[in-house]
Amino acid sequence: MSETPATARSRMAAHAAGAGTVLAGVVLVEALIRAGVINGFVVPLPSAILAAFPRVIVEENVLHRFWQTTQEVMWAALLLAVFGVGLGALLYRYRLLRRACETWVAALAAAPIVLMYPLFLVIFGRSATTIVAIGFAAGLSAVILKTVEGLAGTRRVLLDVGRSFRLTPAQQFRMILLPSALPSIFVGLRLGLIFAMINIVGVEFLINFGGLGQLINDLAERYDLPATYAAIFFVVLVSVVFFVVTERLERWAQRSA
Amino acid sequence: MQPSVTVAAPAPASAAATPLLDVERVSKRFVTPEGPFTAIDDVSFTVAPGEFVSVIGPSGCGKSTLFNIIGGLVGDYEGRVRVAGTGITGTHAGIGMVFQEESTFPWRTVLENVAFPLELAGMQKEERLARARHFVSLVGLSGFERRHPAELSGGMRQRVSIARTLASEPAILLMDEPFAALDEQTRVILGDKVLQIQQQLKQTTLLITHNLTEAVQLSDRVLVMTYRPGRLKRIVDIELPHPRDSDVVGSERFGRYVAEIWHDLREEATRGLEADEAQARAAGPRS
Amino acid sequence: MSAGTPSSDTRQVWLLRGAIVAVVLLGWEALAASGWLFRDVVPSLAAIARALVRLLGNPEFYTNLAATAGEIGVGLAIGGVCGLAAGIAIGANRFVAGAYEALLHYLGPTPKIIFFPVMIMWFGVGAGSKMAMAAISCFFPIAISAAAGMRGIDRVLIRVGRSFRARPWQMVTKIYLPAMRAPVLTGVRLGLGVAIIGTLLAETKLSNRGIGFLIIQAYSTFDMPRMYALLIVLFALAIGLNTLIGRFGRHSR
Repeated sequence: MSETPATARSRMAAHAAGAGTVLAGVVLVEALIRAGVINGFVVPLPSAILAAFPRVIVEENVLHRFWQTTQEVMWAALLLAVFGVGLGALLYRYRLLRRACETWVAALAAAPIVLMYPLFLVIFGRSATTIVAIGFAAGLSAVILKTVEGLAGTRRVLLDVGRSFRLTPAQQFRMILLPSALPSIFVGLRLGLIFAMINIVGVEFLINFGGLGQLINDLAERYDLPATYAAIFFVVLVSVVFFVVTERLERWAQRSA
Repeated sequence: MQPSVTVAAPAPASAAATPLLDVERVSKRFVTPEGPFTAIDDVSFTVAPGEFVSVIGPSGCGKSTLFNIIGGLVGDYEGRVRVAGTGITGTHAGIGMVFQEESTFPWRTVLENVAFPLELAGMQKEERLARARHFVSLVGLSGFERRHPAELSGGMRQRVSIARTLASEPAILLMDEPFAALDEQTRVILGDKVLQIQQQLKQTTLLITHNLTEAVQLSDRVLVMTYRPGRLKRIVDIELPHPRDSDVVGSERFGRYVAEIWHDLREEATRGLEADEAQARAAGPRS
Repeated sequence: MSAGTPSSDTRQVWLLRGAIVAVVLLGWEALAASGWLFRDVVPSLAAIARALVRLLGNPEFYTNLAATAGEIGVGLAIGGVCGLAAGIAIGANRFVAGAYEALLHYLGPTPKIIFFPVMIMWFGVGAGSKMAMAAISCFFPIAISAAAGMRGIDRVLIRVGRSFRARPWQMVTKIYLPAMRAPVLTGVRLGLGVAIIGTLLAETKLSNRGIGFLIIQAYSTFDMPRMYALLIVLFALAIGLNTLIGRFGRHSR
């Protein structure tokens, strides 16, 4: 599916136009603030925000905070992989259980789990455990549903092949069901991880504990506006990178699965 | 992996040696909301060791049901199926199945697919890969061992499925319209290949098909089935010399066999079309 | 391969569901009675029920509910309209898509609550900042769904509109929107979900009205039964609304 040079060029042009308009907008904001049209106390100068970046990175120990948040995400990932896939496999294996619970799990996906954070605060205190727990709870539904979907989507004829070779149920699961479901499971894990990451950073902000989310809260409470904006941009950047990296990983995993 | 063939039962009138596959009065009935429904009715036949037998019939004659019953994937039927004298209960190690649909494992390479039954048997990695290589070259896919099925054409994937089943060295090779999804030319060439292999290995083979030329080209005997309920209408001995290749398709004798079987088949196919029409008419227009 | 008839299968499903619920409730009550976790983290079911009744009987609850609902409603309206407009523009024009779709796609999955300090600065500590949170939360899923919906419209319908010389506004209201109904509805469902989250989280952080405020108030006074009651009501409403929209989507085919 290779592009013609013409389409590639117009695509580049579009990207450039998009980036250009965003940049123009920023410059416009800068000009309007300097002109006094926009209150500089409410919206800091973009140039000031830019200047705040190095200050924030150096003074606020951003790397260490980034590592803290990453650790929380990694714990959530581990829990999701073990319990999410495990529960999904359980639901697939026991059809009655699946018919009973699948709608509940789907409803869970629509539920605002993160709003239980005050409850988790009471149970686990202001700690990383609370943060990881919410991240895990937020991503769980996606992993379970995608695991079930992947397992259930195994082509009937492949199961027949297994039966024709007289595989035991354990062999059937290990050699046919699981490999067949792997692409779907990866999609689910990625989705779950994204939800987890979003909620982890959010809860860090809310409970004023942890890594990057807490940084924003800290800077905001200190009324250091340029730094607050800079930190927000930085966190958005990190989440974009996380999203892109997991997207690439998923595609690579699906190709070699 | 060959089951020991004990010649215990008395020789039936139609064969000099014990048949390898003995299908005795097999019937399959379903209960549907519209009432009881018979898919196949009192089908009996045998397959001798080394024979290539085809079962042909119109759509709806219960061929696939027969395939699933003999293969042991369906347990609830009347009659008996015996392999080398012993009745089957579920899937049997002596029966290797090749399905109509795409059945290669997309996550394994060609070689790993073919090595699958050897892996199950507990063979060590090096030995089973070497052995699998033999079967890969048997079906003419040497050089493609490390490819994944997605990189191959439909015909090549079916060859992989066949090689995989052959690697388990079954007493009986049971195939359900393996070439149905392929174009005519590929089908003829693959049919050739399968016949070659069958003659070389002296592999007892039962082929389910709806393709007349294929049945006559490959088989020693053709069993013609009626439209629903599927019964055995006729058995035709194909006395064309071996080795056969696709050239024999043009010969006069071939033509006569085809005409003979087509006469029966056409009757059944017409009955089938009429029955479908009647059913659609009875169902009435959709609201 | 269960040989049960459809009705006996459904009965089994409901029995199993009932059994699971019963086990959970019993386990809860046992945990509450055992005193294993410190006081009131797991209150007895009776205590939660009492708190629930008290809550639903209290007019103060309803004023707060109305406040939250209002914030979500306005935010959803603003974010929804902007999202629809952006999605339609992106879906309709490949150049616009090339310019801005990546922004939507990559900025979508980011935690919006971190923008709250900015929203406070711009819109004050009252309802305004909460509405803004709802708006920026729901903008993204709605825009993305609308763009996908636009792309999915059968090209021939667009040609029909053009052949009748429909003006842009007419194209939008008479062709684009009706044709996109299903994906847009999905987007609104998702958008509502995140709008609820965005608004309520903002209320828990800084507010003196709304359900989120009540929840954090219950937390700070360690009134656990009340917190559970609030969470139960909140979840019931959120899941209920989501189901309703889903049903509505299916019926209006």
